[in-house]
Amino acid sequence: MSSTIAKLGIPPVQKNDSQSLRIGIAPTPTHNLLAQRRANFTTLVESLEYAAQGETGYNFYDSRGNLKSVLPYRVLCTNSKIIAKRLSGLGLARNSRVALIADTTPAFIELFFACRFAGLIPFAMPVPVNLGSRAIYVQQLRGMLESSRANVAVASLDFIEFLNEAVNGLVNNELKWSGTPEQLDLLPEADVALLPNTPDETAYLQFTSGSTRLPRGVVITEKALMANLQGIVCNGLDVRFGDRCASWLPFYHDMGLVGLVLAPLAAQLSVDYLATRDFAVRPLQWLKLISRNRCTIAFSQPFGLKLCTLRARESDLVDLDLSSWRAAGVGAEMIRLDTLKSFAAKFSAAGFDERAFLPCYGLAESTLAVSFPDIGLGARSLRVDAKTLIEKKIAVRVQADGRKYNEFVNCGRPLPGHEVRVVDEADHEVPHMTVGSILVRGESVMSGYFNNADETARAIRLDGWLDTGDIGFLFEGDLYITGRRTDVIIVNGRNIRAQDVEELAEQQPEVRAREASAFGVSNEDGSTSVVLVVECRLASAVDRQSLINRLQQMVYMAFGVSCLVELVPPHTLPRTSSGKLSRFAARQGFLQRANLEQPVATTYTAG
Amino acid sequence: MSEVTQEQITELLCQRLAYFTETRMEVFPETNLITHLAIDSVKLLNLVMEIEDQFDISVPLNTLVDVLTVQDLADLIYKIKLSSQ
Repeated sequence: MSSTIAKLGIPPVQKNDSQSLRIGIAPTPTHNLLAQRRANFTTLVESLEYAAQGETGYNFYDSRGNLKSVLPYRVLCTNSKIIAKRLSGLGLARNSRVALIADTTPAFIELFFACRFAGLIPFAMPVPVNLGSRAIYVQQLRGMLESSRANVAVASLDFIEFLNEAVNGLVNNELKWSGTPEQLDLLPEADVALLPNTPDETAYLQFTSGSTRLPRGVVITEKALMANLQGIVCNGLDVRFGDRCASWLPFYHDMGLVGLVLAPLAAQLSVDYLATRDFAVRPLQWLKLISRNRCTIAFSQPFGLKLCTLRARESDLVDLDLSSWRAAGVGAEMIRLDTLKSFAAKFSAAGFDERAFLPCYGLAESTLAVSFPDIGLGARSLRVDAKTLIEKKIAVRVQADGRKYNEFVNCGRPLPGHEVRVVDEADHEVPHMTVGSILVRGESVMSGYFNNADETARAIRLDGWLDTGDIGFLFEGDLYITGRRTDVIIVNGRNIRAQDVEELAEQQPEVRAREASAFGVSNEDGSTSVVLVVECRLASAVDRQSLINRLQQMVYMAFGVSCLVELVPPHTLPRTSSGKLSRFAARQGFLQRANLEQPVATTYTAG
Repeated sequence: MSEVTQEQITELLCQRLAYFTETRMEVFPETNLITHLAIDSVKLLNLVMEIEDQFDISVPLNTLVDVLTVQDLADLIYKIKLSSQ
């Protein structure tokens, strides 16, 4: 579609789209006759009831870019109330948990809202993505079902087999019903009035990592959710009439669910979805959707941008017109300026304006968003002296040429109603430009981890400050992230808890508890590799190689990443005075043995 | 392409995998994709795209969880190809 047509304001037209012509469906329009309300609602279902009065909604595309199904907010509202009554017939207590395997389908969204109408707490479970990962995936599902004490579990036909396998092996099975959405449709509608939700009720749980044994479900109330949605819609994106979103982000990810399902709904915007798998295989389809439907808002992890840059050929750029894209949100992992620059260099030929970049900071424990820069300024960054940063933990702007520097992206200011503070190891607030742990306080912060007082107490201080686990500094009121503490490794946009990798290793008969240490190291190209160092008593080369192979395979199956395994003699791994392994020291030891130098940006650690 | 045999698929995969993973060793049907080839997610997705385009099929995500070797992948493609005809 040429940009001239788009500028004339003609609504999106499906081109080369034999399938949708055949079924005769068209995507929901960008422009709504309903007056726009910018997320000023007290509950999620209230925002759906309002959006249902208009024409906008969700659209789902297949891997070739054909429109597969359309779910206008009006239809979503009607359908989810019917499903809510079917769920009500199961005789569940209010606030019972409902587990949903979240592939990118209308059924997931209908079920999610059905739960809210019925006063139940939904949560999204991931779809399996890794080669050979069946056993580990089923174990992950089991962990979430037990940790959430779920009473209902739903999976589409594609995934029901995995769910059934997980359910069969549950130790503490509190499930009253599990099955497919189609089976749920066969249940009778209960003759009940759906009670309104209240702001203090839990809206949903968000699981934060694919932990193998002890997954943690973040508890988000209606109040926290609505506060964050309002912050995203009004302050982060400054949503306006004519906005339209496109997304490939998984519905089980906080940025995918809160940012690109719930926020658009709260502002009555239409959204065009591509399944994550289809994006991963054909990333350009996402950009084609944006181009064709004149989308204005689309978010990605840096890794998604990298995939697009890597995979786009010159010939792909000809048909693309990305000039409508005004908010290119980037978040969910450390943002490197290089990634953004390469993307802009590649796609400026297709009309992409780098001022659209909106690097932001957030985490599921604070619903989604914590800070945004002003929109329309693009990614701004700060160059700081590398030596002072590592030696004194102080960010000093590089004045003269020739000094070694690290460049950090400006992630903006906290949303209204939120505060950010940087503290040192003794929990004292540090001056601006000093690097420390980032704490957040405000309306969007979670109530805690579900049914897990210990982890909650570790994350939230008595005075309400949430420890994000991220490291950074403040400069002129803006937040800069310099790294994560060593307990999380981020590879290709996936958050991997070091503890999970170590637990996998310890499941091997040759590996004893507390004799494995996992951490990330940076490669020359800026990517991260997982390293697993294991103390090993095996003498035979064959046995050692077999253990290495098995460990690599287990890590791959669980997390989808290759992993470097190093076997070392017993007592090599450094321990703290309390006998705990120190990942930081283990990593230092590994780097020394391997004779590797590390850039400071990704390796800065505190505590 | 409609008459493609299981052996042809396996052979093609072995060739493509050797190219994709830039490995110097030969790839056999029993080669383990993870431990031997260390295929990462980006390479895997590239390969899936090639397979889909070449055989005009769609490889569902949920089917890859049972794939460990080149042979497993070839069997899967053959099965999908058969059922899509």
